[in-house]
Amino acid sequence: MTLLPDEQAKKEFLERVRTALGRTEPLKHVPDHPSLKMELPQQEQKVRTIQAKNEARRERLITALLSRAEQMGWRVNRVPGPEEAARAVAEIARDAGAKKAARSAQDIFKRVDVDGALRKMGINPLVLASGRTRHRSQLKGLSFEAEVGITGVDYAIAETGSCVVIPRKGLSRMVSLAPPVYIALVEPAQVMESLDDVFAIRRMQYMQNNGRDTNYMNFISGPSRTADIEMTISIGVHGPGQVHLIMIG
Amino acid sequence: MSEVKSKEFQSASKAALNDKGLQRLLGRVVHGFADLRDAAVEEVTEPVWEQLRERARSIKQQTLANLDYYLELVDKSVTRNGGHVHFAKDADEANKIVLEIAKRHDVKRVVKSKSMVSEEMGINQVLEANGIEPVETDLGEYIIQLAKETPFHIIAPALHKSREQVSDLFHDWLKSQPTNEIEELCRIARDELRDKFATADMGITGANFIVAETGTVMLVTNEGNGRMTTSAPRVLVTLAGMEKVVPALEDLATFIRLLPRSATGQRISAYTTFLGGPRSATDEDGPEEYHLVLVDNGRMNVLKDPEMREVLQCIRCGACLNTCPVYQKVGGHAYGWVYSGPIGAILTPLLVGMDEGKELPFASSLCGACKDVCPVKIDIPRLLLRLRGRATEGGNGVKGSAPWIQKLMVRRWFSSVKTRQAMNRSAKLGRLLQRPVARGGRIKRIPLPMVSGWTQQRDFPALAPKSFSEVWRDSLDKP
Amino acid sequence: MHQTRRGRQSIKASLFITCTIDQFYPQVGEAVVKVLRRLGVDVNFPEAQTCCGQPFFNGGYRQEAKDLARRFLDVFDGNDYVIVPSGSCGSMVRSFYSELFADDADALARAEDLASRTYEFSEFIVNVLEVTDVGASFAGKVTYHDACHLLRELHVEDQPRSLIQAVKGVELVEMEASQACCGFGGLFSVKFPHISTAILDSKLQSIEASGADVVVANDSGCLMQMGGAMSRRNMKAKPMHLAELLAQEGGRA
Repeated sequence: MTLLPDEQAKKEFLERVRTALGRTEPLKHVPDHPSLKMELPQQEQKVRTIQAKNEARRERLITALLSRAEQMGWRVNRVPGPEEAARAVAEIARDAGAKKAARSAQDIFKRVDVDGALRKMGINPLVLASGRTRHRSQLKGLSFEAEVGITGVDYAIAETGSCVVIPRKGLSRMVSLAPPVYIALVEPAQVMESLDDVFAIRRMQYMQNNGRDTNYMNFISGPSRTADIEMTISIGVHGPGQVHLIMIG
Repeated sequence: MSEVKSKEFQSASKAALNDKGLQRLLGRVVHGFADLRDAAVEEVTEPVWEQLRERARSIKQQTLANLDYYLELVDKSVTRNGGHVHFAKDADEANKIVLEIAKRHDVKRVVKSKSMVSEEMGINQVLEANGIEPVETDLGEYIIQLAKETPFHIIAPALHKSREQVSDLFHDWLKSQPTNEIEELCRIARDELRDKFATADMGITGANFIVAETGTVMLVTNEGNGRMTTSAPRVLVTLAGMEKVVPALEDLATFIRLLPRSATGQRISAYTTFLGGPRSATDEDGPEEYHLVLVDNGRMNVLKDPEMREVLQCIRCGACLNTCPVYQKVGGHAYGWVYSGPIGAILTPLLVGMDEGKELPFASSLCGACKDVCPVKIDIPRLLLRLRGRATEGGNGVKGSAPWIQKLMVRRWFSSVKTRQAMNRSAKLGRLLQRPVARGGRIKRIPLPMVSGWTQQRDFPALAPKSFSEVWRDSLDKP
Repeated sequence: MHQTRRGRQSIKASLFITCTIDQFYPQVGEAVVKVLRRLGVDVNFPEAQTCCGQPFFNGGYRQEAKDLARRFLDVFDGNDYVIVPSGSCGSMVRSFYSELFADDADALARAEDLASRTYEFSEFIVNVLEVTDVGASFAGKVTYHDACHLLRELHVEDQPRSLIQAVKGVELVEMEASQACCGFGGLFSVKFPHISTAILDSKLQSIEASGADVVVANDSGCLMQMGGAMSRRNMKAKPMHLAELLAQEGGRA
């Protein structure tokens, strides 16, 4: 059985903190903080306002996102629709010399037929999701074998040029991490203006699902890199060294 | 607790200055980081940057003032998320917890992403002693792990290693071909570590921030090792100092805007990773089990100490190191412990004790460049001065311990400036005594203890034949 | 509260000359008096002054620093303006007396009052007298070193430069990293002389690269540090206190 926390140690620790702060009793009220006291209904209203704002500014935000993403090292491509998107994905995979292209099992792939486009190029699409044909335990190994990883995203942040990817059923952590080339498919409605927007939405979701859904999330803001040796930048260390952002629409 | 060598600062700093290879590298790289940071801040514009700093300072200060509430909230949230939260009083206790988790899960190999508190703990040695293989996955940490050294810089642990030295290390330990190409060296490390990620039983991470409300740990990385460590192994442990807490998710936006710019001049790092529990039932991958270990290891005393508490605001960006004229010359190893530079000069005496660390607060010219760049507005010079007061005179449970010769000379000096008459008398005596060594208004050699160091490389001015006060009285004091 | 004032005839100012200038560089003090009198300031020198306590404070000898600071408050009690030709001594009074007297409400109040009347030399000329051309002339290339406390505690950066540029015949050349520390740091310079001189080396390289004949600073600690090495190495450039430059009448580099 796993190691459960020592409750006594916890109690004593917290008491020592109280003493250090000059308190004998625990705080009876929530400390003053701009957002901590906001209850779910207000948070939902806040998110509605954010969504409306982003919708009104969408075209401008998309331009800003693509520009910033390029600055951050994404290769950026804007295509008019799903057919062009699928073709762009296949071309990237072909140019990368891929034989196996892994993808998540997200709804976007029902509309964007990357499987068909890849097969036309002679590249084998792998769906990295557990189900009838595949067991969860196989996924890690397969993601290390693939040369390309393709996913949809939850959000894209114009402020930072980031794609926000939240793992779930059908979308593993490794599919966007292990292959040396990563392709993110983004749709206009997903584009958010700022970090604040995404955190407001996530807070709302956390309050709604009360910690049931996974807390895990990544902001991917360019290719993997390091400057640890002589402060010289090297691209593509443990994560993908080549990252593509395809805006569909 | 890992070994502390801060008492050796004098000799270690001299050795660093005499190391020509190190000096060449230091000159290039440390200024590089500082320049990148300045450019990134300029892009944000100063008024916006100042607003961010003030907001960050306020968030951290408020959190520390209510840390009991927020730590309890972290416990509730992470537990709600399905994780386990442990509270460790010191390095020993923290090591025991990690070891026990590893043993219960039959862990043979651990992959680690960056954690400064794990360096305080010396967890790698503990794991090794128990037949478990710890693998550092941050490239800089991996290099110093192979070299069996401590980190040279908070952000870039292997800053002091030339590519030739890295190539030699890889050749010795990994049997790779020697190479002068940095890209090739990175590829060698990547291939080696890829296998470790795939086969590790447990991952250990640090935490840049912990959100109390949602039980979310945030990691700021560039390589992808943080993502690998939190995705591939079946057991995951986060080690964090108890001061890493911030109240709300939305607070993270401020810190994301400050930390990467301050550390490496980036607008945002390649990966910002959020975690806070095991994978959910429907997730395709991720750890089955999650533990968060919150560590005291001396921080409680700092929290209790109103004069020093603000040092706990530190977000470990390393900007103070990059801008420090002392660090720029001697590098990180001279400081003798995990944390170096201006912040290290404060943290070391506070966390490991003044007896070990008392040289460090004096190893500063108090220029204040660090204070200007600190994203959370820690008044580093003021804190250094307070530690100097404690080191010399005692206070806050510390016994004053200036060397007796220094105390003697200071008392003499004090008596000679207590009154104008005393000053005039001492000056008269001084002018007499300096005659053998003063030439043309300069003294080439001062044969006195403590101050003789001046004249090794510099002339010292001779006392003027008449002080200003005498000149004033004789000729300037006119109605 | 610092206030500016036109009509300099009636301005009375007390000189806080600093112990370093008093004992080692009295000619700087003479230059300060000369320049201020030329600008119509009624200068007086409270003779009882000795030391503001900074070196003791920096060494951790807070008791000694407090004694000297209390005495200092007495010596400069009730003056209109207190002028100090030093960034570090000025910031001892303006920034760090509050640290020293944190536990003493009376002394703290007096210290805050003194702080509000204390001005660094160049700050006084430019901000209070509202003058930048003091009528000096000097032929030569001058570079300016931003003394750390002057820059970061007193926030004086433009004033010395304005004054230097107004000197007839002077060409102001900025050195690279003018804001980098010279490595003095008081006690630091003798406790860690090897580091102090390593930092100084970089500063001297900047000075040399600027091609300047003279390096000007408003802190005699910095000038002692830089000047001490410049004379040891027979460098072309010479150190000069800002007051000495502003007192020049037709001098040359």
